[in-house]
Amino acid sequence: MNDTVVHVDHLSKHFRILNRREGLGGAIRDLFSADYKTVRAVDDISFDIQAGEIVGYIGPNGAGKSTTIKMMTGVLKPSDGTLLVSGNEPYANRRRNAQTMGVVFGQRTQLWWDLPVIESFRILKEIYRVDDATYEKHLGMFNELVDLKALYSQPVRKLSLGQRMLCDITASFLHNPRIVFLDEPSIGLDVSVKSKIRSVIRELNRAQRTTIILTTHDLGDVEALCRRIIIIDKGKIIYDGPIGKVTALFGAYRTLKVQIHNYKEGTSDQLEAALGARFGGDAAIAVEHTETGWTDVTVNQDQVPLFDVLRFVMETLPIKDVRIVEISMENVVQQIYDGALK
Amino acid sequence: MKSYFALVRGSFMAIMMYRLSFFFTVIGNLLYIVLLYFLWSSIYRGVETIRGMSFNQAFVYVALAGSIFTMVKTWADWEISWHITSGSIIMDLVKPLDFQFYFLSQTVGFMAFNFIMIALPSALVLLLFFGADVEMGVGLLFLPAGLILAFLISFAIDYIIGLTSFYTESIWGISMTKEIITTLLSGALVPLQFFPDAAQRILRLLPFQAIYHIPLTMLTAPNLDVRACLGLLGTQVVWVVLLFLAGRLLFTRASRVLMVSGG
Amino acid sequence: MRTLLHYVRLYVLIATQYVKARMQYRADFWISSVGMVFTSIATVFVFWVLFHSIPDLAGWSFDEILFIYAFYLLSVVPLQLFFDNIWQLRFHVVEGSFIKYYLRPINMMFYYMSDMVDLKGWVQLALGVFMLIYASQRLGLTWNLWRLGVLGMALFSSSLVAISILTIAACATFWIVGSFPVMDLALKIRDFSPYPMTIFDGFFRFLFTYLIPIGFVAFYPSQFFLRPEQVPLLTYFSPLMGIGSFALAYFVWTKGVNSYTGTGS
Ligand SMILES: Nc1ncnc2c1ncn2[C@@H]1O[C@H](COP(=O)(O)OP(=O)(O)O)[C@@H](O)[C@H]1O
Ligand SMILES: [Mg+2]
Repeated sequence: MNDTVVHVDHLSKHFRILNRREGLGGAIRDLFSADYKTVRAVDDISFDIQAGEIVGYIGPNGAGKSTTIKMMTGVLKPSDGTLLVSGNEPYANRRRNAQTMGVVFGQRTQLWWDLPVIESFRILKEIYRVDDATYEKHLGMFNELVDLKALYSQPVRKLSLGQRMLCDITASFLHNPRIVFLDEPSIGLDVSVKSKIRSVIRELNRAQRTTIILTTHDLGDVEALCRRIIIIDKGKIIYDGPIGKVTALFGAYRTLKVQIHNYKEGTSDQLEAALGARFGGDAAIAVEHTETGWTDVTVNQDQVPLFDVLRFVMETLPIKDVRIVEISMENVVQQIYDGALK
Repeated sequence: MKSYFALVRGSFMAIMMYRLSFFFTVIGNLLYIVLLYFLWSSIYRGVETIRGMSFNQAFVYVALAGSIFTMVKTWADWEISWHITSGSIIMDLVKPLDFQFYFLSQTVGFMAFNFIMIALPSALVLLLFFGADVEMGVGLLFLPAGLILAFLISFAIDYIIGLTSFYTESIWGISMTKEIITTLLSGALVPLQFFPDAAQRILRLLPFQAIYHIPLTMLTAPNLDVRACLGLLGTQVVWVVLLFLAGRLLFTRASRVLMVSGG
Repeated sequence: MRTLLHYVRLYVLIATQYVKARMQYRADFWISSVGMVFTSIATVFVFWVLFHSIPDLAGWSFDEILFIYAFYLLSVVPLQLFFDNIWQLRFHVVEGSFIKYYLRPINMMFYYMSDMVDLKGWVQLALGVFMLIYASQRLGLTWNLWRLGVLGMALFSSSLVAISILTIAACATFWIVGSFPVMDLALKIRDFSPYPMTIFDGFFRFLFTYLIPIGFVAFYPSQFFLRPEQVPLLTYFSPLMGIGSFALAYFVWTKGVNSYTGTGS
């Protein structure tokens, strides 16, 4: 067990935020108010991560993923509990730890906005005191993985989101860190860039045995990369284990999105009842109407063929439009609460 | 009228969200008046009048110039420049609105807020706590019109400055230069009466004095009659018309550049 | 020593790259410089107009005031050149982009400030030197090596004071939402530093000498040269004031950085 890179024990982070009152009078009273409420962004979590692992740290928006990453990188001080990264408290030894970490926060580049990419790399080489041989070796490896050379002379601000992300990831590995944190690296990117980023991450993990912690709310990322996932919701860990169990379960789930002509209050409940009657209660087909006007019908394909459900829905109701998507993070979390992994 | 009230109320509340920030704005403006008081006291040490102005007149003049400053500062130049350089100007152009009046209406609410929350209280403090007097003559009746026209002139200048972003990236340099020239040559820092006579003659031909010196004259000059006041307003109106037209002309030319080069 | 060298090398590397990148906007550079010229001589212009009507200001002649102002310009050069990024602090903090400065194995204040070099500072440097020479000539001041050494020391101290005042004001953003008025206030106060502190009395003299020591930005240290026979005892404490206020500013910065909690997600 001496290969533990991250040790998290009963870790919590609470934020105090001001309760704002309504209206003009409230705004004036707020000037003098001291009425705070506590947000438990991370609430008593524990886990260990071994060297060389790629761990998917996933959960819906606002679950507490970024807050955890910020604590592990020393940006935030934990409110409670123990947190050790490479044996050190990140917050107390920020500068020393930074030397052994790489961090990417999705959408926010850490490269120098106005400078050509290669100059950012050179500055980083100087900051981390990377020697020439290592630097050249790393850049060579990246050039093989993704053809970045053409971009090197471009200022960072001129890169597309995907190119910038690739450069940021490259930069985070330049000093050969023991552990790399990637916070939503694929957010807002299209499928082809996503797959490129996944292959880069996989290769980097393999080449240096770098430990990687990857947060995302996209199940596709973790399916492609991780053997272990940790699912967090509302600050609490609700699952920590092999990904196989999760994909076995949710891989079979699909959400049928339908737009119903003349949708009325209660239509979705009637549909759920009708589906229950037709396919039996065990099928557990969930129906939910969303604000976007679509009605979500979530189906486990292992239990009921998707097309049977679709045909039934189309016969029962006047349908304008249909889409089939993979299960969403929110849905997974709901299913776990409902006991799906027990 | 109701919608304007909603606007003022909205921005008032927005500022209130920034609790301490609001206190600092108030303290900052009061402190500024205090510092001016010290400065001008020492300028007037041992003399009764300078260039025909008493200490009281000069102090009221420069302190209220500070209040006018918060009121006529529109930031429209920065705003327009930002729209141009970020490309969001395309979205403005497709709106069925006149570009100039579109930006004007956006700054009016801001001005009203600054007037009520900053300029007016500062002026009151000045009068109540510093024992300063203003001239209780007809000038006061013309002051509201004079202030509104001053604001319009300031906006028209900012609008023109903002449009220069069609031609150059450097809004900081141009805007700063404008800012300094406006405050130096308008009486915002030193009453116009203090300038050498030859300089004064030239300054009176420029639009800048119409922003500060004219409304401040209405407040501080003794024995103004209605004709003199009308003359002052007339000068301001001429500048409003000329500068607004200049802004429109520049916009027509500049937007042609946009259409040719695609922004 | 090794660390110091490392930082110097790093700064030179970043700064040269930054300057190179900015030089692509040559027009912007020149227009901004012209703007800076106007900004810098505005105060002189006000003095010039004032002295047109009065013989002296609290016992100081126009040439003496010009000297103090030149000293002021020189002492804000380091602030302008190397610490200009403090003006961006509240944007970084509000938008959450500030967290990137936590993630490198180098001093955070250094890393943060190295992100920007404000080239307009050269205008203040040039104008400051020019005015200093001009005013010395008019005042009949002679310069020798010893006096230049004293000048260097004095400028070092006062630039630290100038840097500290604005840095502390900028740090307000770590605790206050919408901290612009705090910076604006600091700037308004700082703009009074080329005036003789003798125009203030009682509370405000005390305030600007000990609490918000703008007196040490220009007025007190320039007395070494203007009226060496009656230098107030206080002036000798300039270096102490400079180092002390910078230590305080650094302390406030560290406190702020550690209390910053980011803006979610
Ligand atoms: N600086 C902060 N102040 C107050 N609340 C915060 C702050 N940062 C995050 N939060 C809250 O903590 C929770 C978790 O946020 P975060 O870790 O960013 O979620 P995730 O990255 O999983 O989307 C959210 O409810 C968020 O609103
Ligand atoms: Mg997040």
